Amino acid sequence: MTEDFNDQEEKDVFLRAYSSMILSRMFDKKIVSAQRQGRVGFYTPTIGQEATQVGVSMALKKGDLVYEYYRDVPFMIHRGVPIEILLDQIMGNGEDSAKGRQMPSHYNAKEYNFMSVQSPVAANLPLAVGAAYAIKLRKEDKVVVTTFGDGSTSTPDFHAAMNLASVFNLPIIFLCENNQWAISLPVEKQTKVEIWKKAEAYGAHGVKVDGNDFLETFKVAKEAVERARSGKGPVLIEAVSYRIGPHSTSDDPSKYRSEGITEGSEKDPIVIAEKRLKELDYITDEVIDKMKSEAKRIVDEKFDEREKIPPPKPETMFDDVYKEMTWIIKEEKGEVL
Amino acid sequence: MTSRQLNMVQAINSTLDFALSKNDSVVLLGEDIGRDGGVFRVTEGLQAKYGAERVIDMPLVELGIVGMAIGMALNGLKPIPEIQFQDFIFTAFDQLVNQAAKLRYRSGGQYNVPMILRTPYGGGIKGGLYHSQSGEAYFAHTAGLTVISPSNAYDAKGLLISSLEYEDPIIFLEPKKLYRAAKMEVPDEEYKIPIGKASIVREGDDLTIITYGSMVPLVNSAVEKNKVNAEIIDLRTIMPYDGEAILQSVKKTGRAMIVHEAPRTLGMGSEISAFLAERAIDYLMAPILRVTGPDTPFPYRLEDYYMPNERKIMKAVGKLMEFR
Ligand SMILES: Cc1ncc(C[n+]2csc(CCOP(=O)(O)OP(=O)(O)O)c2C)c(N)n1
Ligand SMILES: [Mg+2]
Repeated sequence: MTEDFNDQEEKDVFLRAYSSMILSRMFDKKIVSAQRQGRVGFYTPTIGQEATQVGVSMALKKGDLVYEYYRDVPFMIHRGVPIEILLDQIMGNGEDSAKGRQMPSHYNAKEYNFMSVQSPVAANLPLAVGAAYAIKLRKEDKVVVTTFGDGSTSTPDFHAAMNLASVFNLPIIFLCENNQWAISLPVEKQTKVEIWKKAEAYGAHGVKVDGNDFLETFKVAKEAVERARSGKGPVLIEAVSYRIGPHSTSDDPSKYRSEGITEGSEKDPIVIAEKRLKELDYITDEVIDKMKSEAKRIVDEKFDEREKIPPPKPETMFDDVYKEMTWIIKEEKGEVL
Repeated sequence: MTSRQLNMVQAINSTLDFALSKNDSVVLLGEDIGRDGGVFRVTEGLQAKYGAERVIDMPLVELGIVGMAIGMALNGLKPIPEIQFQDFIFTAFDQLVNQAAKLRYRSGGQYNVPMILRTPYGGGIKGGLYHSQSGEAYFAHTAGLTVISPSNAYDAKGLLISSLEYEDPIIFLEPKKLYRAAKMEVPDEEYKIPIGKASIVREGDDLTIITYGSMVPLVNSAVEKNKVNAEIIDLRTIMPYDGEAILQSVKKTGRAMIVHEAPRTLGMGSEISAFLAERAIDYLMAPILRVTGPDTPFPYRLEDYYMPNERKIMKAVGKLMEFR
C-alpha cells in the first residue's frame, strides 16, 4: 500500500474506510431491529459485505459513476452519502428525494453519482454499460462501477452487459458481490464455473478477491480501475464474502442453510479490518470502542430525527410519470384526492 | 365428503401436492420453491416429498424458467413454473408472447404448450413499484394465452385442477394480498371450476359490478356494508372472460362498473366496457364506470391512495345510481 500514500495519508484513508464499515454495521443493526419493532417496513441487510464495497469505493474518484444494487449501503456511506438520505428512503418519508415511491433498500443519491436502484436484479448492468459508452464517447476521465450479487450472474442482463462492455472496450468495472447465496440458492447451484472466470469468455479481464478483507479488495479494485481508466477495457471482480444476515427481513434462512460466517467471528469483515489496522499500528481497542459507540449514537439519533418526518403528500403520487402530466393522469389525480 | 379450513396458500399447496402425486409428468420449477418452500411458502414441503428433480430450485433467470417450461411442455411434461413476483416476468416476456402463445398457431396446431405459469401479483403488501404490479392486461392482450385469477381458496383449488387438464399455456395470477387473508371450507376431494366461467358472487338488481382476483372481497364488503343491491361478478378467468355472464347480468340491472387494481388505461375494464357498449347499449341506464388503479407506477408509501377502496367504489356506485 505504502507506494500510494505517505504514512499519514494511508492512515487517514484506512481509518476512514474502517469508520464507514462501522457506521454501516451500526446502521444495519438499527434498521433490522427497527423493522422487528414495526418502525420500518422491509430491509435487505448488508452485514458481511462491508469490506467488499468499501474496498472498491476506496479505489474510485469522486466523479466516477456507480450503478449499484439494493445491498450497497456501505458503498454509499463510504462515498459520502449522508445516512439521512438512506433513512429517508427506507422510511419513505416526505423528505425522501424519490418521494417515498420505492420500497426500502431502493436508494437514490444522484448528487453522489449513484444511480436509482431497481428491484429486478441485474437490470442496472446494461445501463451501466451505456453510461460507460457515453464516458468513452465524450472522452471523460471517469469509470463506471456496477454491482450485483452472485445470483444475478444467471440473468440475460449480465450476459448482455458483459458482452457489450467487452465488444466496445468500455471503462467499466463489474463488481460481483458474491455473498454465496441468492435467497435460498447456494452459489454452487447457481453456476458451474467460478464467476470471475466468466470474464474470459467475453474477452474481459476477470479477477477474484477475498471480499471480507477491505485491503485485499482495495488492492484488486485499484488495479481494475487503473486498467479501465487507461482504456484497457472492462474488468469483472468477483469479491467473495458471505451473507451473514437473512436475504431480507422477510426471509428465514433456517429453512435452507446452517450457520456459516457469524458476526464477530474471525472472517467477519469488521474483525479482519480491525486486525489489519492493529497490525499497522493505526488503531487501538480503545479507539475502536469509541468509534463504535459514536457510530451507534449517530445512527440512533438520526433515526429518531428522521422518523418524525411526515409522509409525502398524496398528490405527489401523480408527479414524474411524464415530464408534463397527461390529461388522463390529471383527471385521475382529481378523482383520488 | 371431508373438507378442511384452508387459506389460499394452503389450498394451492395441497392442490400442487395432489397434482404431483397423481401425475408423474407434473414438474414444478422456480426460484426458491424447493428447499425454502417459496417466498410465500406456497410450495412448502413439496421438494422433500417429490424430490429435487420434480420440484426444481432454479438459478435466477426468468427467461430460462419460462423457456425451459415451454420445452418441457412440448415434450410430454406438465410444467408448473413459478415466477416469484409477477413484476419479474418481463425478461421472460418474449418466451411467453412469441413462443408459448404462438406455438400452436405457428405450427398449424401440431404443437401445444400445456403449462401453468403461477405467479403472485398485485398490491396491498407495501411492495412498492416492483412487488405490486397487476399485469393481467399484458397477458390478456396476447392471443394464445389464457389468464386466470382466483379470489379465494376454494376457487384457487378448483381452477388449478381444471388447469391441469388444459392444453394451452395458462397465466395463473395469485392475488398475494389474499394469500392468507381468509380461511374457508375446501373439500379434500378433487373438484373442478370450469375455465372461462365467471361466478355470481352475489345477486342483485340495481347494478352489476364486474371484478376479479384481489378486488373481489373488497367489492363484496363495500356492497354488503352499504347495503347496495348490486350483482357482483367474479370473472375467475380473465381471458377468455365470460361475456355471457356479464351480458346477462347487465341486461337485468342496466348499470355496470368494473373494478380492478391494475392501471385504468387499456386495462380489463376498457375491454369489458367496449364489449358492453357494443352489445348492451340499449339496456344501459348510465355510463359504464371503472374503479381502478391510476395510470402511474405503483407507489410504496402512498399505496393506500393508489389502491381502489370502499370510498372510491361507493362514489362510483352513487354516480351510477344517481345518473339521469
Ligand atoms: C429478475 C428478478 N427475479 C427475481 C427477483 C427476486 N429476488 C430478489 S433478490 C434475489 C436473489 C438475488 O441474489 P444475488 O444476486 O446473489 O444477490 P444478493 O441478494 O445475494 O445480494 C431474488 C431471486 C428479483 N429481484 N429480480
Ligand atoms: Mg448473493
